Order: sequence, then structure tokens, then C-alpha cells
Amino acid sequence: MTATGQDADACGVDDTEASETSVTTSTPPPPPRRARRRIAAVISVIGELLITAGVVMGLFVAYSLWWTNVLAERAAHHQGDQVRQHWAKSKSPEQKGLDTKDGIGFLHVPAMKNGEVLVKKGTSSKVLNDGVAGYYTDPVKSALPQDKTGNFTLAAHRDGHGAKFHNIDKLKKGDAVVYESQDTWYVYKVFATLPQTSKYDVGVLEKTPKASGKRKPGRYITLTTCTPVYTSTYRYIVWGELVRTEKVDADRTPPKELR
Amino acid sequence: MYGWIWRHLPGNTWVKALISLVLALAIVFLLFQYVFPWAEPLLPFNDVTVDQGMEAVR
Repeated sequence: MTATGQDADACGVDDTEASETSVTTSTPPPPPRRARRRIAAVISVIGELLITAGVVMGLFVAYSLWWTNVLAERAAHHQGDQVRQHWAKSKSPEQKGLDTKDGIGFLHVPAMKNGEVLVKKGTSSKVLNDGVAGYYTDPVKSALPQDKTGNFTLAAHRDGHGAKFHNIDKLKKGDAVVYESQDTWYVYKVFATLPQTSKYDVGVLEKTPKASGKRKPGRYITLTTCTPVYTSTYRYIVWGELVRTEKVDADRTPPKELR
Repeated sequence: MYGWIWRHLPGNTWVKALISLVLALAIVFLLFQYVFPWAEPLLPFNDVTVDQGMEAVR
């Protein structure tokens, strides 16, 4: 009752008029206010949706650049440990075929400062998302390091999912790229890089990659990833050539490039 | 929208705040667990291999 009294006071009219006005506001002609309120409600919902969209996109960035790394590191460690355990169990140095399911070995690139990278078969995102490097089976089948000639072609993520080739641009001519198999260290030296090429440039994977300047068959390694960082518009390519191999000793002493 | 949800949550302010927090975390979980992994391959941010274009898409 006080409210009506206050209303009346505010309007400076008597009770009867106040009740009349309140009747009129709740019945027919008052559209402007209600319509305005409805418009305001619609706009505020749109605004809230936009804010929500912004937050979701922010979360997606956090997911891509942080959470996928967490998951990938976990998976890569687990799988890497399994490969090492297999190796430890089958101590006998006879080549009993590659165990391509768990991964075939580890890549060490001191210039990339990313420790060891497990190498597995295939370059599907299912494989690469576990924070490993995959060797190509398609469109050009990769050679393996122990083959007499050929190109050992690898791909890994630049950002997210372990980001194993994030620092690929730090690789310069002459830098070492070492591949560790169960019984051999393969030491490659970088001889050419291609900072930007089309994503359809399948030629970089050839047995003798002509784009690198090589004409004769040899034992090459090719690293591919996406560039520029955070996008995948182009591809970044690094080529290396085998300079020597070393037998792995009982303590798995790394070659001097890794010390 | 959020005002409507807030008004329809049961309990006093603290209970409402707690429920809101749980709801928000649940949504973040669903996004990270299901929505983002689904959306990621559809977005052009993380293809790292060279291929022959559409005919070679796996």
C-alpha cells in the first residue's frame, strides 16, 4: 500500500488517478515500453551469446596450445617407455624385423632442444597427435634408416600435440639430426632447408629429393611440418644426409653430437 | 539468458554460485573432451604433412 501511496506522491496526483494509470499501463495502449523491453532482452541475449562465443574460442586456443601438449606428452612418454622396455627385453642384437606398432626408434635433434622424439609409422593425425614424429607411408613411402639408399621422411606437429617440430626453424646447415634405433645411431647432417613450400609439394619426399639440390641416390632424412607457426598454410622442410652410423653399446652411450 | 538461468537455480546466493561453477566446469569438460577434438581436424591450423590434395585425403 505504501508503494501506491509513493507512486501517487511521485506523480503528484490523487489515489483515483494513480489507480487509473496503473490500470492503463497493464492493459491496451502501452506498447512502447514493453516493446522496448523486449528489444532490450533480445539484444542482451545476443550480447551474451557473443561473449560466450568469445570465451569458447579462448578455450579452444587454450586447448590447442596447452591441453593437447599435456595429453601428447603423456602418450609419448608412455609409448616411448614401452619401446625402450621392448628393446631391453630383446637384448639379442639380431634384426628381428621392426616393431612398427609401438614405434621404431627415437629422433634426437639437439638444435630443436626438445629431447627425444619417438618415431612411429604413418602420418595420420591419430598417430601424430600422440606427440611423436611419423614416417610417411603415403603419398610417398618413406625409406627406413637402415635401407641402402632412400629418404627417411618424417612429419610432426609444429604447435600443440607435443609440438615436436616447433623449433624446426632453428635448424641450420650442418646441424646434427640423430636417429636412434635398437642397435644403431644414425647421424645425419642438415644440408638444405626449405622455409616455405606448398602443402602439395610431394616432391620433397622423393627418394632423391631434387628440390634439396641432390641428384644422386643417397641416405637422406626429411623433416616436414607446417609453417608459419600456429597455421598450416605452408610446409617447412629440412633435409639431412647420413654422415655415419655407430653401433649402440651396452650403456647406450650417445654419439658425440648429443653429448 | 544467464540472468534467467541464475533466477531458476535453486537455493540462496552461495548455493547458486556453487551450482553455476559446477555447470561451467562441466561445460568446459565437455568442450575439451568432445567438442574441440571433433572440431580440430575441421580447422586449418594443424596439418603438417605434404600430400596430393583432396584425392589423397585419408
